[in-house]
Amino acid sequence: MLTIEHISKDLGEFILDDVSLTVEDGEYFVIIGPTGAGKTILLETIAGVYPPDSGTVVLDGRDVTFVPPRERNITMVYQDYMLFPHLTVAENIGFGLKNRKLPAEEISTKVAEVADIFGIGHLLHRYPDTLSGGEQQRAAISRAIVLEPSILLLDEPLSALDGQTRDRLRIELRRLHAKYKTTIIHITHNFEEVFSLASRVAVMHQGKMMQVGTPDEVFRHPNSEFIAEFVGVQNIFRGTCKTTEGLSEISVEGAENTHIICSSLCTGNTNVTATIRPEDIMVSCTKLESTARNSFAGTITDVADNGSMVRISVDTGLPFIAAVTRQGWQSLEAEIGDTVYLTIMAQSVHIF
Amino acid sequence: MKSDLRRNWVKILSIAVGLVLAGFIIALLLLVVTHPSPSAVVDSLMTKEIQFAIYLSLATSIISTLLCILIAVPAAYALARYNFWGKSFVSTILDMPLALPPLVAGVGLLLLFGTTPFGDFLESIGIVFVFTPLGIIIAQFFVNMPFMLRIMRSTFTDISPRYEYVACTLGCTNLQAIWRVTIPMAAHGFLAGAVITWAKGIGEFGAALMIAGATRMKTETLPISLYLNMSCGELEMAISAAIILMVISVVSLYVFEYFGGSAKF
Repeated sequence: MLTIEHISKDLGEFILDDVSLTVEDGEYFVIIGPTGAGKTILLETIAGVYPPDSGTVVLDGRDVTFVPPRERNITMVYQDYMLFPHLTVAENIGFGLKNRKLPAEEISTKVAEVADIFGIGHLLHRYPDTLSGGEQQRAAISRAIVLEPSILLLDEPLSALDGQTRDRLRIELRRLHAKYKTTIIHITHNFEEVFSLASRVAVMHQGKMMQVGTPDEVFRHPNSEFIAEFVGVQNIFRGTCKTTEGLSEISVEGAENTHIICSSLCTGNTNVTATIRPEDIMVSCTKLESTARNSFAGTITDVADNGSMVRISVDTGLPFIAAVTRQGWQSLEAEIGDTVYLTIMAQSVHIF
Repeated sequence: MKSDLRRNWVKILSIAVGLVLAGFIIALLLLVVTHPSPSAVVDSLMTKEIQFAIYLSLATSIISTLLCILIAVPAAYALARYNFWGKSFVSTILDMPLALPPLVAGVGLLLLFGTTPFGDFLESIGIVFVFTPLGIIIAQFFVNMPFMLRIMRSTFTDISPRYEYVACTLGCTNLQAIWRVTIPMAAHGFLAGAVITWAKGIGEFGAALMIAGATRMKTETLPISLYLNMSCGELEMAISAAIILMVISVVSLYVFEYFGGSAKF
């Protein structure tokens, strides 16, 4: 188990500001955040590349705050591989084993074993710069995992790869985690990686840990406006919560009228922020007869087609953004200026 | 004159300037090589004096280059990797000998070793720099150290420190990470720096003249030999020394460029 308490570090350009975090054994922990959020320096502090200005790092009950990297058994993979260019793939993968003074035969057996798992067994005699990006990253991950580290740190391991390679390697990472049960801390800014890999996710911003939870918790129930915006919730409304006759409603001041949005989560008379994910909004040409509490009529003001999904901006007096599939959009047969109905389930309205 | 898109006068003129300059340099080199007869050059090369000059030049320049490597590599590493108080000041000062006329550097060295208690102390334990080959070595070291330093600094700067971070997580100490990863990756810059430092060392004249003097068969390196023989009208001897220096320069420049030196300087 890794416990980080109140870690701060100022590197000028990047900072960590009072970060606390616990990562359980065997967890696949993903850290997500915009560029410059301090994600990499958090990983480097965990690895022991430099000492924190304050705070402690405890690994399996041992305070390792000022212990050099080589005595931590934490390995690290960077986005741009960082394979040693003057060594062959085999020498790269065996680098750590050689440092541990293992006999040569044992090194080559272990290297061959891990290389086969990653499908790079035939590349062992080659030099890194003759390999494709995907092959280089496989070699880099092999080099880190062959030491059977207590924690494997991955710093945007898939970001430099092309789409197809990225998808394949992502699946391999999941397989690897299932096989080795290594604790993994993985940095990314890709949401797909969060959903397909993370057992828990943390969101970082300006050197601070903003929210930690399961992907569902963080994406469905963002605890701040920054997270809501960052994770792609685009419908963010501020209003007052009222509970009347067992119903929870939020009144939001719109341009012309006041919207009453029902939410199953709202309690008490407080000022709240309500968020609704674009894909949780149903769009129809006629008013839907359903059990959903919220239904609003509005005019389509904009349509953005991003390939798989179509984002529709609808003005109901409040600016809503709904996301529908391409097929859904075509069957709607609507265009800009048309009136549509938005239907939202009460439990899809999240508040903080 | 009517302007015509096909006639780019800036291009034509600037290329012409470059060509004239190259022709000028080639003419000078050819003049030096072709002035004496080949047999006269061979005869000069066979003399004790020129052979001594070759030997002394090689010995002093190799030792001073090793010294430059020993001092400049760690200093360059520090400047490339760490931030410390006064870093930019230190960096500028370390480049100072580049801009300083070698004669001035030589005067400074002469004063340091000839007139201070520090110099007296060294002399008392038998280390004498003034008017000795040791003086030549220290002059070459002082004047040429910035070459090694600058090239190694930009070489280290170009190598991401993350290679060392990874090496450390794989079980290396800081020093092992540098030795097993950074230094091998810096090999090209290292060779380029060493070659140019050595070539500059072999040609060092001004500073060496000041501290070591120009004594025949004692502190007579190739450039000193060129100067001494020229002064007493021994043109053949002088030009033989010049030819050797020229060949060394041409070959060194080629090696320097081969290892990408000019991009790092």
